[in-house]
Amino acid sequence: MTTTVDLAAQPAAGPPVPRAGTLRLIRSELRWVLRRPRTLVALGLLALVPVAIGVTLTLTDGIRAGGGAERGGPSLLAAVAGNGLVLPVAALSITMVLLMPLVVSMAAADALAGEAAHGTLRGLLLAPVGRVRLVMVKAVGVLVVAVLAAGLVAVTGWLTGMVLIGGDGLVTLSGTTVPLGTATLRVALVAGWVAAQMAAVGAVALAISAATDHPLVVMAASMAGLILFGVLRSLSALDWLHPVLLTEGWISVADVLRDPMPTEGLLTGLLRAGCYVLIGLSVAVARTATREG
Amino acid sequence: MTSVPLAARHGVGAAEAAPTPAARTAGLRKAYGDTIAVDGVDLLVPEGAVLGMLGPNGSGKTTTIRMLLGLTAPTAGTVEVFGRPMPDAAAEVLPFVGALVEGPGFHPFLSGRENLLRCAMAEPLLPGRAGQRQLRLAVDDALERVGLGHAATRRYRGYSLGMKQRLGLAAALLVPRRMVVLDEPTNGLDPAGTREVRQVVAQLHAAGTTVVVSSHLLSEIEATCTHVAVMNRGSLVAQGELADLLDAGTPTLEVSTPDREAGLDALRAAGVAARAEPGGLLVELTGTDAPSAVATLVRAGVAVHEARRRRTGLEELFARLTEDER
Repeated sequence: MTTTVDLAAQPAAGPPVPRAGTLRLIRSELRWVLRRPRTLVALGLLALVPVAIGVTLTLTDGIRAGGGAERGGPSLLAAVAGNGLVLPVAALSITMVLLMPLVVSMAAADALAGEAAHGTLRGLLLAPVGRVRLVMVKAVGVLVVAVLAAGLVAVTGWLTGMVLIGGDGLVTLSGTTVPLGTATLRVALVAGWVAAQMAAVGAVALAISAATDHPLVVMAASMAGLILFGVLRSLSALDWLHPVLLTEGWISVADVLRDPMPTEGLLTGLLRAGCYVLIGLSVAVARTATREG
Repeated sequence: MTSVPLAARHGVGAAEAAPTPAARTAGLRKAYGDTIAVDGVDLLVPEGAVLGMLGPNGSGKTTTIRMLLGLTAPTAGTVEVFGRPMPDAAAEVLPFVGALVEGPGFHPFLSGRENLLRCAMAEPLLPGRAGQRQLRLAVDDALERVGLGHAATRRYRGYSLGMKQRLGLAAALLVPRRMVVLDEPTNGLDPAGTREVRQVVAQLHAAGTTVVVSSHLLSEIEATCTHVAVMNRGSLVAQGELADLLDAGTPTLEVSTPDREAGLDALRAAGVAARAEPGGLLVELTGTDAPSAVATLVRAGVAVHEARRRRTGLEELFARLTEDER
């Protein structure tokens, strides 16, 4: 207490401007993010998706086993039969289309627009937490939600797959068998890759969040964007536009189920996500710098 | 509109004695599109003063406060806090400023203590190596100070309006400040809460903290402030020390007496202006003083039950300043 009194006695004196440690701010942000009931409910429900898929597949047993040499979600599901380690990959590829972006954009919506709506953003600006630092701290919060979302789906998918479906190692789409350890690594890899894609969605959502006081606008805009990307991708006349669409590379998730694993699609997807993150964060910082507190 | 006529007469002299005012604005203007919220405001907050900002709704009090705190960028004009330009020097200045602006802002799903802890973790003046325990101590101190100790673990969602207001006050008082800015601090508070806010302001003042309080409650300002700034329709119409502003009108003595006619006659005979009001007389103290006016009455055999100096009253002053331009 005495130290703070001393500081108050000689304020704004000289260069050593007091500021709260960035780590402390991040810790505070994470506490807040991970305590919010709706974040927990959303993550919990997301984690249940692989379980639901696993249970459904087990109960309806004997769907056309091994019918899925094609790429994409539904065919991946067919490949799950008798091949438990495909389940986490299939679950990731299904949830990443809409459910996971929904959870991530919700976190981004609460991060800035939600705080503004509650009047708590003003408190942070008055503390003061610098505006650039504020966006960075918020970005970490959103990133953690993205990582948790992808990680949880991968973990519950892996567990469900092993327990309900089983299988010794992973039978790839190419027909070869990958041992359990390597297969688990591949699941972890694809979970990380999905988290990166979700970080890209989160960064863009954060940029929208920085420009409005209404969390609902952020979620609606993010979802509309993803749906619009889907529509644009289905129009072959616009194929010159496809390389810049975030969702264009998402089909590469199934690549980890091939042997040898093709890396080009995954790397391109990572690069694309990186660009979206950069653009999203830049816009978020620019908008926050001039925003009314 | 003639801006700050009274300041020229009463306020500036006192303020010039202090070298650096806690806050100062010059030619401050804020326009939102075609709407001009604040125009030509030259506000001066002397160090250590308790400045009451007074004005009808929409007169620009909150906008001015928001510009003082760097939350809103002025369209034109300059703001200085502790002699540093705002909002550029916000990082240096704001740690020493506590503020409650536009109502309390907290998260409904967290308890009062958790909400304050979140504020504390962003608070630069709570030392970097402060463990969770030290932060909690600061938080509990602040909660006790505003009388929320008993509700610390309850969710903010369930707080009454007054409790929310108190929590906002607690956040502004988390660490000792050099200046505290309170925008309508007594909104939603019961009389006991209002009294407590007054006590908090008095404590801050006693500790040498500069306080800026905006309120539409005149009695609030009159009871707690040393200085007053009156705003009307985006302009500062008066500022200065409270006592000076109150004495600016004609000094008057209020005499309660049953013999009004006799009293009036006696005073007129002595050349003192007076008029009757229910229950007594109003004596204008121009060219005379209270003792001789009372002596005149008593010598004439008029029964004087009570005589007291009547100040103009903030309400009257306020009405005069904000209504004569319509």
